[in-house]
Amino acid sequence: MASAVIQKFKRPLLESLLAIILGFIVGAIVMAMFGYDPIAAYSALLIGSIGSLDGICESLANATPLMLTGLTFAIGMKSGYFNVGAEGQAYLGAIGAIMIGSVIHLPYGIHLAAATLFAMFMGAIWSLPVSALKAWRGVHEVVSTIMLNWIALFFVRYLIEYHYYEPGRAERAMPVLPTARYQVLGASLTTVIFVAVAFMFFAYFLLWRTTLGYELRLTGSNPEAARYIGINSTRVIFLNFFLGGLAAGLAGATQVLGRPPSWTIYKTLGNVINLGFDGIGAALIGRNHPVGIIFASIFLGILSYGAKFMMYLGVDPDLTRAINGVIIIALSLPELYRIIRRFIVGREAE
Amino acid sequence: MNGVERAFKIFGKEGDEKKFRGFRKMRGPPPEKGEILIKAENVVKGFPGVWEHLILDHINFDVRAGEVHALLGENGAGKTVLANILSGFYVITSGQIYVRGKPVKFNSPRDALEHGIAMVHQEFTLVPTLTVAENIALGLKEYSSLSFPLKEVERKLAELSERYGLKVNPKAKVEDLSAGERQRAEIMKVLYWEPDVLILDEPTSMLTPHEADELFKVLRGMAAENKGVVFITHRIEEVMKVADRVTVLRLGKFMGTKSIKETTKEELLKLMIGEVEPFRPIRKPVKSEKPVLEVIDLHVVGREGVEAVRGVTFTVREGEIFGIAGVAGNGQRELVEALTGLRKVKSGKIMIMGKDVTNKSPRELAKLGVRHIPEDRRGIGVAEPMTFGENIMMRDYCSPPFSKNGIIDYDFVTRHAKELIKKFEILTPDIWNTEVRILSGGNIQRLILARELWVEPKLLIAFHPTYGLDMRALTHTHKLFMRLREKGSAILLVSEDLEEIMSLSDRIAVMFRGKFMGILDASKATVEEIGMMMAGIKPKEASA
Repeated sequence: MASAVIQKFKRPLLESLLAIILGFIVGAIVMAMFGYDPIAAYSALLIGSIGSLDGICESLANATPLMLTGLTFAIGMKSGYFNVGAEGQAYLGAIGAIMIGSVIHLPYGIHLAAATLFAMFMGAIWSLPVSALKAWRGVHEVVSTIMLNWIALFFVRYLIEYHYYEPGRAERAMPVLPTARYQVLGASLTTVIFVAVAFMFFAYFLLWRTTLGYELRLTGSNPEAARYIGINSTRVIFLNFFLGGLAAGLAGATQVLGRPPSWTIYKTLGNVINLGFDGIGAALIGRNHPVGIIFASIFLGILSYGAKFMMYLGVDPDLTRAINGVIIIALSLPELYRIIRRFIVGREAE
Repeated sequence: MNGVERAFKIFGKEGDEKKFRGFRKMRGPPPEKGEILIKAENVVKGFPGVWEHLILDHINFDVRAGEVHALLGENGAGKTVLANILSGFYVITSGQIYVRGKPVKFNSPRDALEHGIAMVHQEFTLVPTLTVAENIALGLKEYSSLSFPLKEVERKLAELSERYGLKVNPKAKVEDLSAGERQRAEIMKVLYWEPDVLILDEPTSMLTPHEADELFKVLRGMAAENKGVVFITHRIEEVMKVADRVTVLRLGKFMGTKSIKETTKEELLKLMIGEVEPFRPIRKPVKSEKPVLEVIDLHVVGREGVEAVRGVTFTVREGEIFGIAGVAGNGQRELVEALTGLRKVKSGKIMIMGKDVTNKSPRELAKLGVRHIPEDRRGIGVAEPMTFGENIMMRDYCSPPFSKNGIIDYDFVTRHAKELIKKFEILTPDIWNTEVRILSGGNIQRLILARELWVEPKLLIAFHPTYGLDMRALTHTHKLFMRLREKGSAILLVSEDLEEIMSLSDRIAVMFRGKFMGILDASKATVEEIGMMMAGIKPKEASA
């Protein structure tokens, strides 16, 4: 049985690893071209990110929201939808966490749970227009999610600026009360990572062990077959976007309830911005599988934290984003290779 | 006016030749009437691994200048495959193709186009958001200068349009066109290449009878200009109406080429469907009079907005196999879709066990004991990227013992799958690690049969249930159907396979143009009678 599992995952695992190596090689070439020492830069990246306990904690803290936004995208893909709404839903999650965490007074534990759940709920609420437009008006989810991302950006900024600003420090919202903070494990890593991982396994269970998850995956694999069996497509649409919203809302919450030292969001949304889009990368590298996404997010967390250390050598930290991009392109290569092969061989040998 | 002059007239002034080369001129002199334009000799095509038998088995076929040559056969006869070979979409396994006497080998559709052979596909290939002229200019880009020759194309399309009587506005967006107009645009697209041979794959399948007659006029006009027109169809009356010669294919085999003047509808039908000597299993008469399925004056609108089922009434009783025969495309698909909850009913009523189930969802029908073997097994019958196990539980996953409280019992499904693999002799490497896409068509069909028929259904709706099965599995399936019948299942069997229909059914309805030509008692019906009705000819004495 174990060997069968290894057999099943060997190929995607190998492909992902190869893509990562290719990404690093291309990154090294770029650095060499600009006159930097790639080996020194990469060792700075690795020593900085995983060379110390603090570094490891920081990398994991970076990974925490990415796995959740990655999950949002992955659930969409599994159900046959291209859900890029995690970005805006994470903003809503973050402000949802502030709404309960900063304003209301509750005992520890209950307060934490209430703030977390409300954040998830806010993220999920933000998915409803997407589902409604898709199910009843046929609006493509890419269009509606991107529009809602922008609406969320300005809406959340408005809420921070006019309703939840910290008196005396108007550039940010009120930090959450100590009763609504996850326990710090080290550096800026908190116990919220366990909640995130638990949610990943919950999603895994839902997708592969329940009839609801089966309906999502069947619709994603062949919508015509799902129709033939009599699966209610409206329900699938709402369920998949709602689940994605829950995950994205939780991702926003991790940045507020589980991220020292600020425990809040800034008016610029600097600490939640781009989580949704980086999550898509995590989902692609992790092959849309919850467990794969956990590892992919940790990898991306290491990259993004380690990048700061490359800066000491003068290398632009944005280069790690370029490496990221190369990895994702390289991941699509196996398919590209198949297409090219068909084109060349097909003409002669068919 | 000869072809060269005409090419210049269409493709620009003399001297503009480089910009719009006269495609016809590039290929040498225009054909003379009766010249053999394209000839296929002993053409064999097999797709290894997909089907065990050959798709085309030593086919001989030729097209002469100035004729409309019909290619007639049932679904799966290999008509489209042959057309795709002649137009360079498929490469032949063995055999030889000659164009105007010279042996050729096409590696791509472009090769064929440059030899003057063009094909109009059954499905539409134009970009819906562009205009007709823009679509055509797209395909020309490497034959003109860098500029987009839109004005030229529009002007020449208007000329082509007038010359052949193909009414299409070059400036209209494709998405705004009706099915008939779209098809004319598709024809224009290939006519732009000035082909000598024009192949049309089932061009009438989406047209109204009036539009079809218009198309036939166009085809005759082309033949009058010494083009060779290949017209693919499964409708005999169309062949009689428009063709000069006809070649019949049956299950990939060449059945003969006839001149229309020297043949009859009946002869063609016999060539097309064969000498059927039905094997009739010993059966007890239907015991029960209890109706399971009642259909009352059903009207269903089909894919192209045309009413495909036009008032059908029948009853299927307990323990009865009710067969629906007919040439494909006469409304059988829409009828089945309506009965299985996949297509909205326009008017009329469907009752199952005395309960009105009109427009009920497939899930609700399944609860009443309705099982469905779909026509398009890869397209809707299975989810190809999913595993064997996930496909075998597709119908029943939401009810115990497959799942309890919404949680799937994988142990049970594994045991269940193993049982069905043995019972239905399905070849699969594994249950949970094998994607269904790698299974052969026959094994996918077995999977679907197993999934739908492991319980005794109240009503089974089976569309081509044995398509693609080998003899052994086919006999197996027929025996299973007879056993289900004995046990009291009502079975609605839709098939183009007359032999299957005649050997299994208790009663047979023949569907033609959305209506039943009549309902026959299977024990008294003859092949000739059914064949005539399939061709739309009412027999003198139709029994009920």
